[in-house]
Amino acid sequence: MSGHDSKYFSTTKKGEIPELKEELNSQYKDKRKDAVKKVIAAMTVGKDVSSLFTDVVNCMQTENLELKKLVYLYLINYAKSQPDLAILAVNTFVKDSQDPNPLIRALAVRTMGCIRVDKITEYLCDPLQRCLKDDDPYVRKTAAICVAKLYDINAELVEDRGFLEALKDLISDNNPMVVANAVAALAEIQDSSTRPIFEITSHTLSKLLTALNECTEWGQVFILDSLSRYKAADAREAENIVERVTPRLQHANCAVVLSAVKIILLQMELITSTDVVRNLCKKMAPPLVTLLSAEPEIQYVALRNINLIVQKRPTILAHEIKVFFCKYNDPIYVKMEKLEIMIKLASDRNIDQVLLEFKEYATEVDVDFVRKAVRAIGRCAIKLERAAERCISVLLELIKIKVNYVVQEAIIVIKDIFRRYPNTYESIIATLCESLDTLDEPEAKASMIWIIGEYAERIDNADELLESFLETFPEEPALVQLQLLTATVKLFLKKPTEGPQQMIQAAKDVVLAEKPVISDDSNQLDSSLLDDLLANISTLSSVYHKPPEAFVSRVKTAPRADDEEFADTAETGYSESPSQGVDGASPSSSAGTSSNVPVKQPAAPAAPAPMPDLLGDLMGMDNSIVPVDEPTAPSGPPLPVLLPSTTGQGLQISAQLVRRDGQIFYDISFDNGTQTVLDGFMIQFNKNTFGLAAGGALQVSPLQPGTSARTLLPMVAFQNLSPGAPSSLLQVAVKNNQQPVWYFNDKIPMHAFFGEDGKMERTSFLEAWKSLPDDNEFSKEFPSSVVSSIDATVEHLAASNVFFIAKRKNSNKDVLYMSAKIPRGIPFLIELTAAVGVPGVKCAVKTPNKEMVALFFEAMESLLK
Amino acid sequence: MISQFFVLSQRGDHIVFRDYRGEVPKGSAEIFFRKVKFWNDDEAEEAPPVFNVDGVNYIHVKVAGLFFVVTTMVNVSPSLLLELLQRIARVTKDYLGVLNEDSLRKNFILVYELLDEVIDFGYPQTTSTEVLKSYIFNEPIMVDAGRLPPLGPAAMFMQGTKRMPGTAVTKSVVATEPGGKKREEIFVDIIERISVTFSSSGYILTSEIDGTIQMKSYLTGNPEIRLALNEDLSIGRTGSSSYDYRSSSGGGAVILDDCNFHESVHLDSFDIDRTLHLIPPDGEFAVMNYRITQEFKPPFRVTALIEEAGPSRAEVLLKIRADFSANVTANTIVVQMPVPSYTMRASFELEAGAIVGGSEHTLRAKLTFSQESHGNLTKEAGPVNMNFTIPMYNTSKLQFSVIQD
Repeated sequence: MSGHDSKYFSTTKKGEIPELKEELNSQYKDKRKDAVKKVIAAMTVGKDVSSLFTDVVNCMQTENLELKKLVYLYLINYAKSQPDLAILAVNTFVKDSQDPNPLIRALAVRTMGCIRVDKITEYLCDPLQRCLKDDDPYVRKTAAICVAKLYDINAELVEDRGFLEALKDLISDNNPMVVANAVAALAEIQDSSTRPIFEITSHTLSKLLTALNECTEWGQVFILDSLSRYKAADAREAENIVERVTPRLQHANCAVVLSAVKIILLQMELITSTDVVRNLCKKMAPPLVTLLSAEPEIQYVALRNINLIVQKRPTILAHEIKVFFCKYNDPIYVKMEKLEIMIKLASDRNIDQVLLEFKEYATEVDVDFVRKAVRAIGRCAIKLERAAERCISVLLELIKIKVNYVVQEAIIVIKDIFRRYPNTYESIIATLCESLDTLDEPEAKASMIWIIGEYAERIDNADELLESFLETFPEEPALVQLQLLTATVKLFLKKPTEGPQQMIQAAKDVVLAEKPVISDDSNQLDSSLLDDLLANISTLSSVYHKPPEAFVSRVKTAPRADDEEFADTAETGYSESPSQGVDGASPSSSAGTSSNVPVKQPAAPAAPAPMPDLLGDLMGMDNSIVPVDEPTAPSGPPLPVLLPSTTGQGLQISAQLVRRDGQIFYDISFDNGTQTVLDGFMIQFNKNTFGLAAGGALQVSPLQPGTSARTLLPMVAFQNLSPGAPSSLLQVAVKNNQQPVWYFNDKIPMHAFFGEDGKMERTSFLEAWKSLPDDNEFSKEFPSSVVSSIDATVEHLAASNVFFIAKRKNSNKDVLYMSAKIPRGIPFLIELTAAVGVPGVKCAVKTPNKEMVALFFEAMESLLK
Repeated sequence: MISQFFVLSQRGDHIVFRDYRGEVPKGSAEIFFRKVKFWNDDEAEEAPPVFNVDGVNYIHVKVAGLFFVVTTMVNVSPSLLLELLQRIARVTKDYLGVLNEDSLRKNFILVYELLDEVIDFGYPQTTSTEVLKSYIFNEPIMVDAGRLPPLGPAAMFMQGTKRMPGTAVTKSVVATEPGGKKREEIFVDIIERISVTFSSSGYILTSEIDGTIQMKSYLTGNPEIRLALNEDLSIGRTGSSSYDYRSSSGGGAVILDDCNFHESVHLDSFDIDRTLHLIPPDGEFAVMNYRITQEFKPPFRVTALIEEAGPSRAEVLLKIRADFSANVTANTIVVQMPVPSYTMRASFELEAGAIVGGSEHTLRAKLTFSQESHGNLTKEAGPVNMNFTIPMYNTSKLQFSVIQD
């Protein structure tokens, strides 16, 4: 026993480092061990103890495993910053890798793999080779993972030294833990390569199925997940696999259960016998339901997956709707998911029960949940024609409670019900009209107005009702205004007082034309996306309901087993695209590693590729491939992808606002991943804070399949200004002759507006600074920005029209004064405070226009990235 | 796979932080904490356990008031990570005896040693306390569980009630007793979570039991144990019309809807004599989880009444009747009833103490509001939640006997 470890945190004397140094070199073992513990304690709280590197490494030569582990922990942390000193440790590593104690052998290999220093990596190869063939399974399983570590550092080395083959041999190992780790390592390597490295043959299949029964729960997940890539040859083999996997459904670990479910669902596609399929569905139901007894976090994941499963195979849980009823103490995120599944499972048989539940939820306290419950009733009405009437009567009961937000939500869904079943339920309009005065949400108002307009001829006082809304017309949001306009026209057409009948007839044909029927949206995913997501059951993809490409940036998508050569991946043309924030967060190039994402297009079948092999090889070997550009296109850094090809049915759009020679351009690039020629491109911008609009026509020549085009579209500002608080949102619509209109959002970087005339004289800067009141001053920290050199930063900012004025030193920090100006003469007086080379820049700004400050900080932060 | 693992306190302090792959940009713990604290989505106000910020996926669970978090850059199985987080918490508890900020900080070196064995390069290796014992060399430093500050009212709101500390076992599995004497003990508990919905007229609408047979073994030499369950136990409901309760009216046999078992359990003779064979590994684990929807008699009947008593006052009347036999007693009872958010003051009269079977207890409370209630008092108060322990009693009638050869 060594006493309380926390005492190591409490050393606060002045000469801490020299003191530690002395203790590390003590002749007493215990003292050295205590000293290393203190060093680690300091390290974990973020103190820099790298200067003790040599002294700590000297403690490495010990038989005491506890001490050795501590030294290794230190090494992993600091080797990267002290690569030359790290070499000192190599000899001990190599020696340890041949130690008689298997724990020490494994520890040495494990740690070496974590030290990402090139010189060390070379020395790692020989010990790794030995350890892959070690007698002890603990060493072998550690070595297997180490191969994946090495591949991540130096893929070429792994292939040259034949480690991949050694890894494949380990699949036949007699220890299941070793098999599981070998599988995990191979799967990871496969994920970062486009060449087929890890292919499951019928031989490996049987090995894996055998190991499955014996290894740990985590190993079972690795193996099951790699099995899910295997495509069975025929129905018989599929049945055989399913039979071996089914017992996993009884496992207490939810991850094992979900991975097993994934395989069964995939193999079921091949199984032709309806009896077998029915039987499997029956077997899957209880374990899926049991997942809902787990911790709420796991319930959430399970529910997101079940949501997908019931879309594909509604029969599995058709009789289990009761288990999805919300418990009052479920966390809100679980309740929301349960509601979705209840809608999906609602049928004529159980609708009464379901409605009773929904009605109960609609009277709960949580507003968001209540709204969703009311919407759910409406969706059931649209989905189940025979139940629509019952749904409506429940909605009417809810309206009678007169809770404002319930009423408004109910009116919104009733409008949809009217759309779905025209001329069926107008009798209730009178009841709706009673609540007219209480409506204050735009969507509810718009819905009510729509109803009045649509049934104007049957509502006696429709004109009065509409008039009551018209009083506030100018203040209403666009949504309500538009609806009012349409409704008024409808009213006029339906109850014309006088006027040329011919024109009225023509207008009637347009305004009162038959509307397309709306349908139930509860199975909203299209089938190809659904299949893609089902193949990813039990992964993050199935929780986000987005294909992996949409949020994974580090890993290249592996070709599916059934893909021909590399045609699928080579044909799209690679572009560097930063990772997309899944929850709508702004795109950013967050990953430290260079990201190079082939945008996989499951929907687009392979087209003849220009140079598949070359490209394929490049993808496998090289991370720094440049985007495939049209020769004539303006070059420049790759643009952020705004419309991924998965959304654009094969068309990918990347764009960015840039400033060139004092003018603002929209630098936009189109990648045609469809099979047809796309032409007739047009672009339009929604109202925005800066009133940006296209300054000319979009010049894009017809796009051949598989090609891309990039162009600079001149932009003009202050054309269509949007009212309200300033926002960087830029909504863009693009159309062409072949596809529907695409909408996407971009961000306006404010620095595109920084004018060339933004330079201020020192004196006028000082005057301006003094003349502005103090509450016009704002400041913000950019914690991740680093000023590595003052001159470089000044030059970099000047290139974006942020002009340097003066600087001074404040203790160890530099303070820079700068100015910038945006159109209409709005100046920004800037003070940057930073210590060179240390992350964290403080930006203070004074400007007469306070509203723009948030956007300004956004722009500065991106400039200082 | 897993990029980082960290444990944060409720205030966002780093307690443990381990980076396995060095691919997630700095500041991920701060980003996570800010996101969870200020989660604001149009749908829900509580952060889901899995979310993505700027390409980094954050997966977290809350255990003992701490955030256990992993980050990953790839499309992995979130249920694996969630299970793993729970398991890490449990292994740590096995080692430290109690799991809290204090014990983690005192044992940080041991915790890092554990983390290195549990996860390698982001891949889970083993979470079995039994297996880990042979690789771990640091000795735990015990934190006195008795001195711990109680979690206070916050404890009631903690999720994951399934693994309530039913056993009062807060000793480390690995630490040796001061006297050097090894305890030969095994704790087996049946823990059941009961969910029952009553209609306003007192009929049972839905009822469900989620149960766990939990074991914590301190036996040396890992002998084989046999756990004999009810002989008439059957698994799987018959027929598809599942909620007709027809099956349970007679006999008194226990019918499980579904169950699953720990990996150490051998089921060779389960189908014949309902006996589980296992060599219990060290540490705490669930031998078996099960789910029952057959009709059962709830141990308590709770009736709650809230009445307006003036413009800004109300009276609450809570009645609890113990519907079990008089020779057992329920204790550690917590009855919880949310009151409207504008309540200023509540005063009680309470007959306190343990509840003996067959007895009936009443709680009266007077509430004073800061504003007038809007007439839907019943909607804003409640529902009533109740936590209790009844030693030697379980609702499902599932029983076991431990046989050691």
